[in-house]
Amino acid sequence: MFRKVLIANRGEIALRLIRGCRELGIKAVAIYSEADAESLHVRAADEAVCVGPAASNQSYLNIDAVVTAAKSVNAEAVHPGYGFLAENAGFARAVVDAGLTFIGPSAEAMDLMGSKTSARRVAVESGVPIVPGTVDALVSFDEAQKTAEKFGYPVMLKAAAGGGGKGMRLVSGSDELRSAFETAQTEAAAAFGDSALYLEKAVERPRHIEIQIFADTHGNVVHLGERECSIQRRHQKVIEECPSPINDPDLRRRMGEAAVKIGRTVNYTGAGTVEFLLSDVTGEFYFLEMNTRLQVEHPVTELVTGFDLVREQLFVAAGAQLSFTQEDVRWVGHAIECRIYAEDPANNFFPSPGTITYLREPAGPGVRIDSGVANLSEVSIYYDPMIAKLAVWGRTREEAIERLRRALDEYQVAGITTTLPFFRGVVRDEEFIAGRLDTGFIGRFNERRVVVDPPQEHVDIAAIAAAIHYSRHQQPAFVQPGAQVSDGRWKMAGRVEGLRKWRRS
Amino acid sequence: MKLKAVIDDREQDLNIQIDGGRVRAEIDGRVYDLELREPEPGSYLLFRDTEVHECRVTKTHEGFDVGLHGVNHGVAIVDPKRLRSGTDSDKHHHGLAEIIAPMPGKVVRIHIETGDAVEKGDGIVVVEAMKMQNEMKSPRAGVVVSINVKPGDTVNAGDVLAVVE
Repeated sequence: MFRKVLIANRGEIALRLIRGCRELGIKAVAIYSEADAESLHVRAADEAVCVGPAASNQSYLNIDAVVTAAKSVNAEAVHPGYGFLAENAGFARAVVDAGLTFIGPSAEAMDLMGSKTSARRVAVESGVPIVPGTVDALVSFDEAQKTAEKFGYPVMLKAAAGGGGKGMRLVSGSDELRSAFETAQTEAAAAFGDSALYLEKAVERPRHIEIQIFADTHGNVVHLGERECSIQRRHQKVIEECPSPINDPDLRRRMGEAAVKIGRTVNYTGAGTVEFLLSDVTGEFYFLEMNTRLQVEHPVTELVTGFDLVREQLFVAAGAQLSFTQEDVRWVGHAIECRIYAEDPANNFFPSPGTITYLREPAGPGVRIDSGVANLSEVSIYYDPMIAKLAVWGRTREEAIERLRRALDEYQVAGITTTLPFFRGVVRDEEFIAGRLDTGFIGRFNERRVVVDPPQEHVDIAAIAAAIHYSRHQQPAFVQPGAQVSDGRWKMAGRVEGLRKWRRS
Repeated sequence: MKLKAVIDDREQDLNIQIDGGRVRAEIDGRVYDLELREPEPGSYLLFRDTEVHECRVTKTHEGFDVGLHGVNHGVAIVDPKRLRSGTDSDKHHHGLAEIIAPMPGKVVRIHIETGDAVEKGDGIVVVEAMKMQNEMKSPRAGVVVSINVKPGDTVNAGDVLAVVE
């Protein structure tokens, strides 16, 4: 096993990886940008190396700086986490060329699965279904019409150069095709300077379901079942579950086998995730893409299977065999994770950076917190606004939801706006409770959402508390003749704080 | 102490007496007798008989944010005895409205010039943070009396970007 590992990341995932190293007696080395010197992940590490200024392209994304840091502390391996350089094949090569171990798949496997077209080719070679569609751009409206009829409506028009929903149109019948074709072309030209479109069969009420796979260097490839990640905003996941509320062992086996086939085709090693779209209408699933890294949402799989994915990653990277076989994998109970973002759910999930002035995280039965922040942490404008993940486990989905509700109500964060109020609404939503999820969930939830007014008593008491705070902080201590000085340190601290505010304003 | 509390856009009379650990408050005729403790700065533990209400109060640009029983309440306190108050909204009464940066970021665009007439809701300044752009709108109709930033400036939360009179 390694003696020292460099963690090429920040935030909660860096802490998760440091914990994994600690449990195996491995020294963990953090990297940090100038803005992150006081971050929690630095404070938790055995050693830490500054890799550059705040902007991530000059620090966390700077391959030379990260590899140099790893060499300078004599680390034997580098764990990239997720995001930043995690799926950069060039980084994986640079780490290996420097004589270190990259904790992840080979650069070749990353190359194959990194491009959308080559990943689709791998899926076809592996006998895994992909969403039927044209491979090349459509040359004319006539071709669009013929192709649409071949696949059958509804179809999806997509910009060949596209992404982020631009130049994308759902067409439910032939009468809509012409106008959709023209608007999508115009949009694509405006957004990407390229009006080329291609066409795919539309997956109705798509669920986003992904399979966790694990492979070692001895030819063993297994799957750890699915995660349902249908609740997304801006094509980013916010709530994940294991298992999917569908919880169909036969579907799990078929999707698991498909994911394992893809893993075998590309000689995959370590932890990986194969993403599928599952039609809630037809029950058919299609390969979407593969993530060649540990996922943000890996804790729900850990809670339900009992395996520690980071521990397995470290062992596999060190050359060991997987510690379990496919037959050993059991799914017990249900886990749900909420990604706590510093974002304002009432303002289209707009980022809300700032200083966390108060933090109390939930605890108790079945609750797991992976947090990257502490009291007085600064959520900076430079990085992803996710501050923590709250995952809960229960014997049933119902129990998990009840626990999640309780834990979300316990969670207190002040100083920044978070997505907590949004989650508190979701876990009380009938559609969510019934498990009727698809990627359009948030849009519909926001429309049907009934804001339950808190009791008048709570509203009044909140106003009273604000008035108490106001009265305490309006007058600096020195002009209060009756002020007691023996009130204890906390109160003094409160007054000092009040004084500071007074002076500033 | 006679105050006005603005909560959910509703202004209510709030008469409050704080006497050591006792609080007596009346809001629109509803009377509360409470025992007050402050376990840490900004945390107010209010007992109403045996009921426990733990309030976490944070100053915001608009007034106060009060976390209570898993819900966040935005409260503004207006103190008629002082010109100063616990909210910036009093400035609206005096005819001035400040456009304040809600978060640190970079100014990318300014839609107006000093002297321009604006309507309520008109875009004033666009601030970018975390690769997202946020348009700051005028809270009232009036004339732009000052612009304190230019495109490319880095701003902090609470900075006054422009003033409308």
